[in-house]
Amino acid sequence: MSGDHPHIQDFDGHVDAVASDLEYFRRKRIEPLVLLYLRRGIIGWNDLFRGHELENWRSSSQPEPDVEKRIRSLEDSLDELILSIAAAGTPPAEHRIAIDDNRVERGDYHPEFRLAARRYEGALETRIGVLEDAIADTRHLVATLTRALILVEQVTDEALEENRKRLSGLGFRNGARIVARAWVDPDFKQRLLETGREAVRELDIPPGRLGKLGVAENSDEVHHIVVCTLCSCYPHDLLGNPPWWYRTDGYKTRIVADPRETIRDMFGLVIGPDRKVVVHDSTSDVRWMVLPRRPARTEDLSEEELADLVTAESLVGSAEVSPPR
Amino acid sequence: MSGGRFHRGDRVRVLTHANCGNPRTPAYAKGCTGVVTAFHGVIDNPLDHHHPYPPLYTIAFQVSDLSGRDSPDVVMADLHEEWLEPV
Repeated sequence: MSGDHPHIQDFDGHVDAVASDLEYFRRKRIEPLVLLYLRRGIIGWNDLFRGHELENWRSSSQPEPDVEKRIRSLEDSLDELILSIAAAGTPPAEHRIAIDDNRVERGDYHPEFRLAARRYEGALETRIGVLEDAIADTRHLVATLTRALILVEQVTDEALEENRKRLSGLGFRNGARIVARAWVDPDFKQRLLETGREAVRELDIPPGRLGKLGVAENSDEVHHIVVCTLCSCYPHDLLGNPPWWYRTDGYKTRIVADPRETIRDMFGLVIGPDRKVVVHDSTSDVRWMVLPRRPARTEDLSEEELADLVTAESLVGSAEVSPPR
Repeated sequence: MSGGRFHRGDRVRVLTHANCGNPRTPAYAKGCTGVVTAFHGVIDNPLDHHHPYPPLYTIAFQVSDLSGRDSPDVVMADLHEEWLEPV
């Protein structure tokens, strides 16, 4: 990609990705979480109603006339939604929720608990409109739940603010710093490849606790790329969100069936015949990142400047790191 | 790390159906044969699941075995022991 704000090439692809992300977070995160709090008696229905009144929710105003801007703002409001779910859904340490129950109720496995899926169909602009409303509704639900949790003193404003700050600080910049350190310090690289999360403490990056971190090192012989075919596992707690297409079914299906062609067709990256492509299918227990190759003409750059070259795409393996301009 | 049934270099087949334990095994790998390339042991991951799952292995599959295409490339998937049988 070139420039800071590349134009959207594939409107439908972006809108489909928003729809599938929204469904994921609605059906497997926020709605089951509301039900869980209700079932456990942590909040009552009335707390939700009071929360709703206090929240005084108003949906946003006129939509953008320009389709591309409208899609961008759809993606932004989805990001905001995901952040607010994460902030509200991180219970304090003394909060006792049985994790097994949580997992079942999140609707992944047990058909009895599964929430009905919605379909977002129709022409592009119709779908965008329906998604704008659906995201606004779900943001309203999160705001109402959050307000109810404050009412029953399950969380405090300060704790929510703290969560929000911590979560919005996550991002691929952490990954870029890890990569740059590995390029300049072979001993660190070795520790990173061997111990994963433990090694990132050296950079004052909180290692996170979501399973193991697998690090796959690109070389002149091998190009690595990461997918999660069953859900969308990624070291979120360390690197923030993966690129938007990571959760799309198209990517998940194609990359394991024909990795080399998929990388060429989807990302315009041609892997030479002298290099093998290795796809890593992440699970919640081992979440993978790619350590890209250090580009040419970077001998004189500082670690900081090297980190500036690293992109979110290169951490997943859909791009190489480009040399400085 | 406690020992597992399989070792690096072992050829294993992925079952098409496992009765218990972790339901997460990708459909494309079911019934396919691959090679154990790493042993992760039992991973403590309380944020994702309360009880420990069986030992976890990285299994390398040839794309040519998975999809029948002529390809030099490889898919590595992390699979739990109860889904694997020796070949």
